[in-house]
Amino acid sequence: MADIMLHLTTDEIELWAQGLLPAARAIHLADCSLCRVEAERERKIILELVQLPKFAPSAGFADRVMAQVKIPTASGGWQV
Amino acid sequence: MVAWAKQGHDAAFRELVRRYERPVFSLLYRMVRDRALAEDLAQETFIKVLNGIKSYRPEFKFSSWIFKIANNAAIDHLRRKSIDTLSLDGAPSAETADQIRATSLQLDSRGESPLAEVESRELGTAIEGAIARLRPEYRSCILLRHVEGYSYEEIAETLDLPLGTVKTYIHRARNELRGYLEDRRD
Repeated sequence: MADIMLHLTTDEIELWAQGLLPAARAIHLADCSLCRVEAERERKIILELVQLPKFAPSAGFADRVMAQVKIPTASGGWQV
Repeated sequence: MVAWAKQGHDAAFRELVRRYERPVFSLLYRMVRDRALAEDLAQETFIKVLNGIKSYRPEFKFSSWIFKIANNAAIDHLRRKSIDTLSLDGAPSAETADQIRATSLQLDSRGESPLAEVESRELGTAIEGAIARLRPEYRSCILLRHVEGYSYEEIAETLDLPLGTVKTYIHRARNELRGYLEDRRD
């Protein structure tokens, strides 16, 4: 019973944002406007972060790296 | 792939660069907010990782190893240059419009550079500006958690931080981000 009365922790709000909140705690969320407001705010920021784009380095990046890498040989030496 | 690279296959090295260049570069770019510098640090990271591939221990996640080296490179740079308080929106302590203007990173002043224009377009959104205002330690934690999808445990392992510290940093970072974004919207 006490479980249902307790406000959601930040960990639980993150679980909820990921759709992983246990049903027993979801009952509290449905009834608690404080937790719902907090959870919605948290979900909004998590969504913005998750949707951030990945950036690519400029063309030829791999070649520039490979030019400075020493590749080990089967005999235990290095090929540059 | 790593085992193949350890045997000296050039193609495996290239594949490792191809797989990780975007996530590593993205993390570094958001940490230092300078494309050319992020690329130098990414290059330094890959060279260190690939030249040290023989010392890689398979019980450690390869991506954790590479992110650890990338993050250390970024943090070292930020500490050396003490630029961690710079942001597009001015110092966190700035309250008036004049204070914000005086402490802002002025992208316009570099406006003649095409690279500066790219940076402004890529990092000019409200959320990117808010991330830039976070302490570097918060920034790496929040990026690994929500951009790379790492678990708290993986972040703790990658950044050599206690699990509780990682949780605290991430919760504080999200709170600060919400605050910065809500301030802008008001």
